[in-house]
Amino acid sequence: MHTMWKGSVSFGLVNIPIKMFAATEDKQIKFRYLHDQCHTPVKYQKVCPTCNREITQEEIVKGFEYETGKFVIIKDEDLEGLQPAFSKAIEIIDFVDLVEIDPIYFDKTYYLSPQDTGGKAYNLLRQAMLDTGKIGIAQITIRSKQSLAALRVYKNLLVLETIFYPDEVRAVDLVPGVPENVQVDEKELTMAKQLVENLTAPFEPDKYKDDYREALREMINKKIEGEEFEVAPEAPQRNIIDLMQALQASIEQTETKPKPVEKKTRGRKKKTTAS
Amino acid sequence: MTDTILIDGEQVKITNPEKVLWPEVNIRKIDFIATMIKIGKYILPHAKDRLLTTIRYPDGVNGKSFYQKNIPDYAPDWVNHQQWNDINYIVLNKASTLAWLGNQAALELHTSFNVHQEPMSPTSLVFDLDPSEGQTFDQVVEVALIVYETLNSLGIEAWIKTSGATGLQIYIPTGNQYTYDQARKINQFFGMYFSEKYPNKITIERMVNKRGKKLYFDYLQMWHGKTITLVYSPRARKYASVSMPVAWDELKNGIKPEDFTLLNVEERLMKKGDLFAPLLEKKKIQSLKPILQFIKEKNI
Repeated sequence: MHTMWKGSVSFGLVNIPIKMFAATEDKQIKFRYLHDQCHTPVKYQKVCPTCNREITQEEIVKGFEYETGKFVIIKDEDLEGLQPAFSKAIEIIDFVDLVEIDPIYFDKTYYLSPQDTGGKAYNLLRQAMLDTGKIGIAQITIRSKQSLAALRVYKNLLVLETIFYPDEVRAVDLVPGVPENVQVDEKELTMAKQLVENLTAPFEPDKYKDDYREALREMINKKIEGEEFEVAPEAPQRNIIDLMQALQASIEQTETKPKPVEKKTRGRKKKTTAS
Repeated sequence: MTDTILIDGEQVKITNPEKVLWPEVNIRKIDFIATMIKIGKYILPHAKDRLLTTIRYPDGVNGKSFYQKNIPDYAPDWVNHQQWNDINYIVLNKASTLAWLGNQAALELHTSFNVHQEPMSPTSLVFDLDPSEGQTFDQVVEVALIVYETLNSLGIEAWIKTSGATGLQIYIPTGNQYTYDQARKINQFFGMYFSEKYPNKITIERMVNKRGKKLYFDYLQMWHGKTITLVYSPRARKYASVSMPVAWDELKNGIKPEDFTLLNVEERLMKKGDLFAPLLEKKKIQSLKPILQFIKEKNI
């Protein structure tokens, strides 16, 4: 697994050097875009429409659009000054109960493992959280982005869940068409509850699969093996089949049945006895 | 050891007559030549005036082979030839040439779709049905019968032969009415139709590895400079199979390419005659004009 960040977890006076790994991955199948004529991957060029030429990476600066078409230029130096002092630390601020955090706040999950000297402290924190059933809320900065995170135990690991700041979660009253204070029929509610109970099962994540991705993968494999993939016949394909029917009908109508062509071209062929 | 036979008034030298050309069925060169001479009257009318390409197997079917398009300079004077596009082709129009080619171990005979006097027009429209690896001959037959039914529905009469190898070839005699361009348009129309109507069975994909286990409807083979196995030509295959015309009813009842070999070709021809003779008759020439016009109108 590829280490994506190195730093430390600190709480109180304890400092645990850790490595961080992405816990989840996007398995979506990616396609490349090719030129339909020669099947060469398409190359993207960065072009300045004003100067009408291709530009290089060195010529690109960041701009903040404060008003349509109006930018302030932000240089790397400008950003450096803003970096928090402990940019390499996961600083635990509070310990809370996991149930207090609604899942809507969770963003990304990272696995943490101790660096060489951190094993003992890592284990200590893990055990303390397991025994108290609490999770840590920490302030972190990864790649110049500061964010809030929850530090908790998952299986035998410390994991870090980045969580959104409250102002990043949109207010629910912005969602239109949600019914309010509607009287619920008791009988209906009982039935609905019964249905919920009937469908209640333990959560077994293994039983859920991405069917679309599997079908896509299978289709790709077939193509690779040279098996023709069968596509649902579309308009143009039906077209030629229809055309054949039209042809058959027109030939039946005009009675141009096997008409021996008695004229033409025979004379020419006759004379070919030569050589 | 060299013998000379007199045929058609020409002296044809036979070298190594005892050489075995098809070891699996024990056919010697002299047997091969003898059979070719016997069935010559059936072959020659179909080969006449066409540009000949042969595949020669000097050491028999299991040995090395090479294509011969140009007439070799040591060929006897009486072997006819015809220049076309930088190549001086042999023209197989007499029994002596057939015997001479036999002595050359020209086991396979392939001819142009056109006669040399009409270099831009094939004499028949030909559908070449070529199975992909792993397909059975029955699957080829199945497709051939589909083609047959479709042609019937259009009032077109067609004849069929085995390629002698694994495929079947369907002929629609059209005289020299259509250019290769026009003929290919018609063939392509049929190819597109069959491959789209029967996408699990028939493909017009040119890349072999993209065909899967489907029959290749080869509409591109019919072109000037290209060839097709001459009817009754033997094939360089274990059982000395030959390219044999069959009646549509025979096809329905089940045949195999190996049913027709150098060992029984003469007997079959004596019994059935030349099933491809209609292709040589003027009155069997058919007009495909309505189809061609239709293709043009519909811009296919």
